[in-house]
Formats: sequence, structure tokens, C-alpha cells
Amino acid sequence: MTQQQTAAKAGHDGEPRIRVRGLGKHYGALEVFRNIDFDVSKREIVAIVGPSGCGKTTLLRCIDGLLPHDTGEILVGDTRVTEPIAGVAMVFQHFGLFPWKTVSENVAYGLRMAGAPKAEIARKVPEFIKLVGLAGFENAFPYQMSGGMQQRCGLARALAVEPTVLLMDEPFAAVDAQTREILQFELLRIWQERPTAMVFVTHSIEEAVLLGHRVIVLKGRPSSIHETITIDLPEPRTRETLQHPRFAVLRERVWSTLMAEAREAEFVLER
Amino acid sequence: MLNTTIRRHAPFWLSIAAGIAIWEIAGRSTSQAFMVPFSTTIVQLWELVQSGVFIRQFLDSAELFMTGFVLALAVGMPLGMLLARVRVLRIGVEPYIMILYATPMVALIPFILSMMGFGFAPKVLVVFLFAVFPVIYNTVEGARSIKPELIEVAQSFRSTEWALWRDVMVPYTLPYAMTGVRQAIGRALVGMIAAEFFLSSTGLGQLIMTASQNFDTAGVFASVLVIALIGVALMRAGLAIERHFARWRQ
Repeated sequence: MTQQQTAAKAGHDGEPRIRVRGLGKHYGALEVFRNIDFDVSKREIVAIVGPSGCGKTTLLRCIDGLLPHDTGEILVGDTRVTEPIAGVAMVFQHFGLFPWKTVSENVAYGLRMAGAPKAEIARKVPEFIKLVGLAGFENAFPYQMSGGMQQRCGLARALAVEPTVLLMDEPFAAVDAQTREILQFELLRIWQERPTAMVFVTHSIEEAVLLGHRVIVLKGRPSSIHETITIDLPEPRTRETLQHPRFAVLRERVWSTLMAEAREAEFVLER
Repeated sequence: MLNTTIRRHAPFWLSIAAGIAIWEIAGRSTSQAFMVPFSTTIVQLWELVQSGVFIRQFLDSAELFMTGFVLALAVGMPLGMLLARVRVLRIGVEPYIMILYATPMVALIPFILSMMGFGFAPKVLVVFLFAVFPVIYNTVEGARSIKPELIEVAQSFRSTEWALWRDVMVPYTLPYAMTGVRQAIGRALVGMIAAEFFLSSTGLGQLIMTASQNFDTAGVFASVLVIALIGVALMRAGLAIERHFARWRQ
């Protein structure tokens, strides 16, 4: 019942949590992207795909407030993003774990930075370690764990601050294919339990279609939103979703949108 | 088990035994004015220790060494991290650090003497100047090699500057800084003896000078041997500390 309720509320219809308006960004003379407009609802996963170098990671860092933007604005709730704000947490491509801290200490990091009391940290850290399936590895150091386990730890650290917005920067790109698949379904399970607004940057079309309620395709140099594809697959997303006839259709749709660009881009010489 | 232990350590102890044997033979077959055998050196050292002279001079040197060395760490490590964190400062200060690092500090001793005289402070300054630059240099290099992603993580979780130092900069940089600390140990020992030779004559430096002027080669060797062994022991201790701080680096 709970899952169905969540499923019913999931998607684009809810109240927007993130509003991106006319966003543009330069690196010196190089214009990365321009005129980026999109919303993310409170319980919605928006996947962003695009060819390498299209600025999807830069866009995500702008939303997190790690990088300044040049034009337009980003609103999370009513707050204009100019620096990292509370309630937004990021999961990093290379995990971003502190190698001298144990799993527990890494998961506690975000809470400590948020000024949470010790008792709350002591209560929440084991809870989130268990949620991501790392129970028993509390005292392990990152170098003792596989990439998949390290990213579970990175996910627990982000979730522990109980954010309303999760920013995922190609989080499963650095792990092997099988682990990646496992982690995708783990993420879906966790999201059903604790839905948030999520922006998921990936270069995997399959991943974007499986996870996203909408897929935004970035194209061009400078890039802009070429198309937004609504992924009307049944909720909750599970392993069966991959077998759904609609899944293949949508994957093909995103693929053809993206590949038209990729083919052109392949034959353009880098300056 | 015992066998492998013996096999592993045998080359080391054989080499030490051979070194002592060569020293002993060379000492016995040359004039006592140039060279004394190992046995005479040890006897002389024992007599110096018994008379109380050696212990007093040793503690004198130790005080000088520790003061200069600890000051070098206390200044070098924070300054190194600050230079790594603040780009403008690094660009401004780095040329002077490179020049001073390359300068033979012994050449500056007459200048320090004329500025500060013969007290304890100028000698501490000499030890400090010998030791501080490898600490700064290695700390800067270490702190600069920190992955930008880790700084981003800290910023993303809204870390304060103070917390960024405590949780990220210091734990990351310590093993690198320790490499500089080990280099600094050797240089500080040189600085200590140089200060005791050229500024007010005290400590083991004085012991060596006096023995040398009296053609007491055994006395010279006894002090030098002790300094060398302490140097080795301190560097081994430094390595152990470095490994302790670096146990997270696979």
C-alpha cells in the first residue's frame, strides 16, 4: 500500500523542489551550456544524459553550489543557490570517501558538518549503514572495500543528512557492470523507502531510462536541453521494468536522440 | 620459523660485524693520531660516560636539538599547509623558500653570530634554519596533491574552513610532512654540531672540538659514533610515525 502511494505521487506532477531557470555557464571564453530550464518535483528522479564533455557534471555542480553560474538562477525550495545549501547532498563519481576514515566515520561526516548532536549521530550512522547494506563493515577503511561497497558508503553519507535533494554524479560509472546493476536496484529500493527530488547524471541510456521519471538530453556546443523525454513506466521500478515492452521503446527513443548528436560529434576535431 | 628469522637478519649482522672488524684492524695498523680501533673508541666512550662529562654535554646538545627541531615542525607544517591552501601566498613566498632551502646554512652562521651573539637563541636559530625547509617543502607538496574531489566533498557538506583543516587537510598531509621531518632530523643534527662549533662552544660539538685539538682521536670517534647512532634511531622512529599516519594509503 505504502509503495503504491509513493508510486502514485512519484513523477513530475508534484510541487517543484528544484527550479532551474535560464541557466548558463562559461569557463573563461568557453561557453559550457546555456538556457537550461527544468524543474524537479519533490518525489521525482530526473536523469540527465549527454555526450561526454557536454557539461552535465558541471551543471550538477552548479546545482550543488560548488560552482558559480553566470546567467539564470537555481532555486531549491525558496532558496537561491549561490553556495552549497543544507538539505542538498551529492554522491560523487569517485566516491569521495576520506581514506583515513572508517565507514562509520565517513557516514558520520555529513552529520558532523551539519552540527548534529553526538547522540543523533550515534543513532543515525548505524541506521544508514544498515540501509545501504554495509552492516558489519562499520570499522572497515575504504581501501579494504570493493568499489561497490565504497559507493554504498558514499550513498549512506549523503542519505544520513536526510536531504530533500540528492545529486548523483555518475555514481555507478566507476564500478563493474554487475555491481552497477545491483546498485541501481538498491538505489530504487532506497528511493521507494525515502523518496527525494533526485538529479541523476549518467552516460548510460539504460540507467537513465530505468531510474528516471524524465530523461533530459543535453546536446550541442554550448549544450542546451535538446529534448525532455517522459518515462511512463510503471512504478515501482524493479528488475521486471527491464522486461517491459515500453522500456525497450523508450531506450530506443533516448538512444536515437542522443546518437544523432554523437555521430556528428565523433567527426568534429577538438580545438 | 627461527631459521627464517636468522636467515633474514644474518646479512645485516654479518655486515655490522665485518664493519667493526675492518675498523678494528685499520685502527690497529695505523698511527693513533689518525685512527683508533673500535675497542679503544668504546673504552674511551665508557670513560667519558663514567666521568659524567659526556652525559652533561649530551643533554646540553639534546636541549639545543629538540628546541630547534620542535620549532621547525611547529612552524614548517602549518606554514606548508597554509601555502598549499592559499595560492597567492604560495606564489609570493615559494621563491624565498627555494632560495633558503638551497643556501648552505653554514655560510649564514657568521651573519647570525654578528646579529645575535653567542647565546642560546642564535644556536636554536641555526638548528631551526637547517631543519625547517625540508618540512615546509614536503608539506606543501603533500598538501597540494590532495584530490580536488575531497575538497569538493567537504564544501558540498558545508564544512567550515577550520573543519576542512581538521578533517581533510591535516590527516591527508601528515604522512607527506613526515617525509620532510625525517630529512629534517639529519639536517638538524648537522645544524646542532655546526652551531656548537662556530657559535658558543657547548655540548657534543665542544667535546669533539676539544678532543680534536688534543689529538684525542678516540674522543672524537666516541662522540661522532653516538651522534650517528642517535640520528639513525630518530630516523627509524620518524619512519614508524610516518607509517602510522599513512596506514590508510594501501
